[in-house]
Amino acid sequence: MKVLRRDPHSLSGAYALDALEDSEREHFEQHLQRCQDCQQEVRGLRDTATQLALAVARMPPPQLRGLVLEAAARTGQNPPVSEHRAGAQPRHARAQRRARAPRLARVPRLLGVAATAAAVAVAVVLGFTEAATQHRLDRAQAQEQAIVAVLNAPDARIVVNRVSGGGTATVVFSRASHKMIFTTAGLPPLAASKVYELWVLAPHAARRAGLLPAPSEGRTAPLLAAGLGRGDSAAVTVEPAGGTSQPTRKPIVAIPLTG
Amino acid sequence: MAGPCLVSVATGRIGKIAARRDTNLPPVGVRMDGMDTRDKRVPEQGAGPRGNGDPNLDWLLAHVARGDHGAFEQVYDRLAGPVYGLIRKVVRDPAQSEEVAQEVLLEVWRNASRFDPAKGGATTWVMMIAHRRAIDRVRSATAEAQRDQKSAIAEAAASLDEVAEAVEANLDRERVRRCLNSLTDLQRESITLAYYGGYTYRQVAGLLNMALGTIKTRIRDGLIRMRDCLGVGA
Repeated sequence: MKVLRRDPHSLSGAYALDALEDSEREHFEQHLQRCQDCQQEVRGLRDTATQLALAVARMPPPQLRGLVLEAAARTGQNPPVSEHRAGAQPRHARAQRRARAPRLARVPRLLGVAATAAAVAVAVVLGFTEAATQHRLDRAQAQEQAIVAVLNAPDARIVVNRVSGGGTATVVFSRASHKMIFTTAGLPPLAASKVYELWVLAPHAARRAGLLPAPSEGRTAPLLAAGLGRGDSAAVTVEPAGGTSQPTRKPIVAIPLTG
Repeated sequence: MAGPCLVSVATGRIGKIAARRDTNLPPVGVRMDGMDTRDKRVPEQGAGPRGNGDPNLDWLLAHVARGDHGAFEQVYDRLAGPVYGLIRKVVRDPAQSEEVAQEVLLEVWRNASRFDPAKGGATTWVMMIAHRRAIDRVRSATAEAQRDQKSAIAEAAASLDEVAEAVEANLDRERVRRCLNSLTDLQRESITLAYYGGYTYRQVAGLLNMALGTIKTRIRDGLIRMRDCLGVGA
């Protein structure tokens, strides 16, 4: 097949949509490694393609969840790859495979009795059930510890607010450590194409603080946000799946972090 | 909107916190690697556009990379809808779509350690895997044989209508639809055929009976226009 060698740059759009044939793609990827502008452009165009993808989100068949989670439980994981390409290329990565510690592998695993006790304390405070707690414990020891640190701050305050549309939001915040944890109970379930997104609202700006996790028994696991300033509020909006960089809707709850 | 209510329930809870301070708790100020949602290792510019850069999702994937099944469950809950929706759009057959979605989500589990937030957002990474798997499926030899050119164009047009139908429910879809409509017909058709139809730009040129270079250019110009219209990226 004839490869368009003269102007590889113009293939960035087709590349971002996976619309190149194999030989062209390989050729373009070689070009991409030397072309910073192209990398930047490809990234923007890929993010644009992601918007096209999110626009057609739909509810998967209910049995898929069990199938996927069971399969994951039986399946080992691949080691990281060192790559110098814009975007991961799992299909073409084999040649470049090289053992490297996962990026976060050095995070100390904060295990043990103290951590368990601490996490249970969080659970009691936030009203989680025992079973849900143990589950969460196993998967996010470090997070629980950080949350306990906020709960344990001498100036920790709790505010509970009603959420318009139903449910409550609970914030525990420490002005001294500029951190808060946020959790909800009884929020109405959303369609698959939507998420609850948490924001830290300053007087003239909004910073994203993560998407609320799927609720367990009506409650969402706590989210932690740092870097709070004077006059900030915690707010939640309903956004398209994947979240947004700025709120596009009116908050369903906003809690000033004062006093 | 109701103001904050520091009600007695809340004060009761503060009491519980105070009581817990005396128990065997870890010291305040534990390391928080990967915790802060605005962690420096998750650069905002890498997060890119609206919708594609959820630092929390980046963080979850980092945990998935360490074999954390709970984190994977959360990733599933956030991305299964977008993954399945895109695959269904490209592959069309429900049973095959489910199969491919399962493969993709399992690939996210297996290859989570290869996700690099410095190179782009987690959502984009996962949607790229989903799109590639979907087109692998429709570009296979047997699938090709079943594809009828006229119906492909009709379906690409229909997909635009479906996007339009979702309008009331979702501001983001509305924006995508509006931005798609701001393109020229040829730009829009080329992009939807390539992305939702899973065709290469050569095949798109064949389907639309246009010169290869023209389609190549229309796809790029159209995507750039979409990007600017959606406010994606820098």
